[in-house]
Amino acid sequence: MTHLGLLRAVAANSFQFSRTDAGFIAEAFEAVVSFILNLPWIALEFLQVNAKPLTQVILLPGLAFVLVFAIIAVWFERKFLARAMLRVGPYYCGKRSGLLQVFADFLKLFMKEIIVPKDMDFMFFAAMPVLVSTLPAMAMILIPFDSNWVLWDIGSLSLPMFFAIAGLAPLLPIFAGWAANNKYSYIGAFRVAYMYISAEIPLVICAAAVAIMAGSFDLLKIVEAQQGMWFAVPQFLGFAIFFLGVIIESERTPFDIPVAEVELVFGWRTEYSGILFGFTMMAEYVLFQAWTLMFITLYLGGFNGPVLLGMTTASHIFWLLAKFAALVVLIILIRCVFPRLRLDQMLNLGWRTLTPLAVLNLVFVLALKVLGVY
Amino acid sequence: MSEESLLAGIKEAHSDSIESAAVLQPRCISVVAKMDGFVELAESMKTRFGFTQPVACGGVDYPGEQRIQMIYYAGNPEHKVMLTLRVNLPRDGPRMPTLTGVWGAMDFHEREAYEMFGIEFEGHPNMIPFLLPPDWRGGHPLRKDFKGEGVTQ
Amino acid sequence: MTEPIIKPDVMRISWGPQHPMSGQTRILLDVDGEKVHKIIADLGFTHRGIEKILENRSFFQGIIPIERMVMADTTNIGMGYVSAIEKALNIEVPERAKWIRSLMCEMSRINSHLYAFGLQAEATGYFPAVFLWTTVDRTILLDLFEELTGARWSYNFILPGGVHKDFPEGFQAKLIKGVEYLRRRFEDYWEAMVENAVFEARCNGLAVLKPEDAIRLGATGPVLRGSGIPMDTRKDDPYAAYPDLDFDVITEPACDVMARTKVRYREIGESLKIMEQVANEIPEGPISTKTSFFVRSKPAEVMSRVETARGELGIHMYTEAAPNPYRVKINSPTLRNMYVFERLAELDEILMADIPVVINSIDPWYLDSDR
Repeated sequence: MTHLGLLRAVAANSFQFSRTDAGFIAEAFEAVVSFILNLPWIALEFLQVNAKPLTQVILLPGLAFVLVFAIIAVWFERKFLARAMLRVGPYYCGKRSGLLQVFADFLKLFMKEIIVPKDMDFMFFAAMPVLVSTLPAMAMILIPFDSNWVLWDIGSLSLPMFFAIAGLAPLLPIFAGWAANNKYSYIGAFRVAYMYISAEIPLVICAAAVAIMAGSFDLLKIVEAQQGMWFAVPQFLGFAIFFLGVIIESERTPFDIPVAEVELVFGWRTEYSGILFGFTMMAEYVLFQAWTLMFITLYLGGFNGPVLLGMTTASHIFWLLAKFAALVVLIILIRCVFPRLRLDQMLNLGWRTLTPLAVLNLVFVLALKVLGVY
Repeated sequence: MSEESLLAGIKEAHSDSIESAAVLQPRCISVVAKMDGFVELAESMKTRFGFTQPVACGGVDYPGEQRIQMIYYAGNPEHKVMLTLRVNLPRDGPRMPTLTGVWGAMDFHEREAYEMFGIEFEGHPNMIPFLLPPDWRGGHPLRKDFKGEGVTQ
Repeated sequence: MTEPIIKPDVMRISWGPQHPMSGQTRILLDVDGEKVHKIIADLGFTHRGIEKILENRSFFQGIIPIERMVMADTTNIGMGYVSAIEKALNIEVPERAKWIRSLMCEMSRINSHLYAFGLQAEATGYFPAVFLWTTVDRTILLDLFEELTGARWSYNFILPGGVHKDFPEGFQAKLIKGVEYLRRRFEDYWEAMVENAVFEARCNGLAVLKPEDAIRLGATGPVLRGSGIPMDTRKDDPYAAYPDLDFDVITEPACDVMARTKVRYREIGESLKIMEQVANEIPEGPISTKTSFFVRSKPAEVMSRVETARGELGIHMYTEAAPNPYRVKINSPTLRNMYVFERLAELDEILMADIPVVINSIDPWYLDSDR
């Protein structure tokens, strides 16, 4: 039997090892040796079998997507904000365009010292930025990029699972603010707690309304139900509330209250230095990415769009990324234009305006469903 | 002119508490008061003559005549006249009652006068160091015989 | 330095010198959650002893240290000191010099108000766009200053006896062009900032300072005029060419942060009006009376008051028969306004998130209060 055949039989549990001890040792030794000698072919077969999940994990929507988006978004935001302020933005790195500025900053942050004040709970403190960057990326694996391009396909649990994972995100700044042993971080942590409690409830109600209208909790079915008309049109209230909710959840201006630089030096991020600071900065963009993709999936038709050049999968992915880019530009533009709300004004907004409107939206959707319009 | 009428009113009402009163320049009058009854005089300036707006207070050191003159500036929003109310204090151990009861805003300025001249204000609610560094090694900077001894490294 | 904490559930935060928005000072806040119970201003970080320095400098030499009191608004402060010297030495100033001085004072005032406007925008929410726009517009003014005086912020141009040099060729036309440009930008600021919904939500009804409190606590400048009291030293105790110029004193009836911002904003408009009048109607004549650098004074006591951008600055100067002044007492506007700021926590409810907004509505410049 060839070496590969031997290995396949071992893997399929159909190979009969010999009964004697010496024979067993010889055959096991032969199996191990053939494994080592045939490693390239084994790797090739592994890649052939698992091509699509690997592409999904490494490229889209996995590692490369997250990192490339963070890099491009940071550069774009700095340039865009600069133009709004009559400045130029990053200019010298990367041949007068500033494209390499992000790499330069990242490299600089790697080489800086991580300052650890006394009486700080360092384990928690150092773990939080890493978690805060990766947890929203975990929530992003549920988003469907095409009819059969979902990294984690759990069917009708995907919508609740997204909220379960993304709902853990507020806990991490609270831990970080407590662990830092600094009054400013402490106040920032409390502000995070207040803000997220008031913002999650309208969001979940709106998502429930979308699920009712689509008839399922499965994100794929929700996208397919929008092939005729995007859910933004009949659920305009929900659309507006969820849009505000995206900005609140990603802690962007006008709602970046936990990180109000002019009041609390940097909120819960105050004591971070070096590469941990780089992670907290990246965390903002990863969270932003996750929530914006969810918004597009729920209200703007996900990956639906006319098929270009006959390639269904590629054009679906293209439409999703196009909508994503448009929304990112819009949200960055909002940052240029508005000052920041105060915490009590934001809580009033969340509890007194958004929650009743979200319930109203839900009732409206139920009425549409009962009357048979949808 | 309103300065003249104010001066006449002050001289008439308080001729025993003031040593002299004159017009310093247009829109500014100067009253030199005696130490006794100073707080009552200031109170009547505020309530009767309308100098309700506190401006500042400071001192001048005259080592040749062995006195420090403490000046209180107050404004009259109605007639737009400024009053400089002065009192002379002895140069060794100058003490005087505080005027924060009359014009609350003199708080900061009296703290500064304490640091710069060494004048003790009795009854000041909040006499903590103000402008000088916390590791100041003594000495009162605005006195004429200050040679830079308190300046830290 | 700090007093003992009185209430057990109150946290004392040091909004301290190491802070992105605190300026060169430390403000201790006693907060309970978000509500601020007490504000203690810990000034003195930038105390340089300017009053003592001025006693050891001759009259002309003293102009340089005193201009370092407020860097955004140097002309008005220099004006105060030089007015005091001229009153003490009985120097007459020609008409044309007075008009040039008024022009420079007004340009300086616009400079300072634009800076304060930008800081106010930044305080309401890390909104550096408006701050950078105002910086660009201040560049126009700084270019005009550079044409006239040769320096961009510390001019030493107003000297006892008059001004240093006359207008260069074509300066009046440049002034008018600059005024037109600033007027256009003026409208932009109103729409982008003051009529912005979030800015109004942050600033309306905040830190109300009633008129009687404003006078009792000694407020001055836009803080006083934002509470509806029309006191402006340019009208109350006129100096330079202000008796001949036509402008209004701006007051606002609502006594909150928005009113003070609007007062500063509209004062920029009035200053632009004055600049135009000077450019069009300035009289001809000599620009200074010859005064020796080593002038000696006679014994005298003078008081000179000017209106800087932050409020009324008083300079009380005693001179002896010497080339130096004997004592110069500077009544700084920021020190008066900082006392008002301390008492604001007792007068009105302020949250910790409002502290930067309220501080920048008082518009302090800590080098001015510490001298």
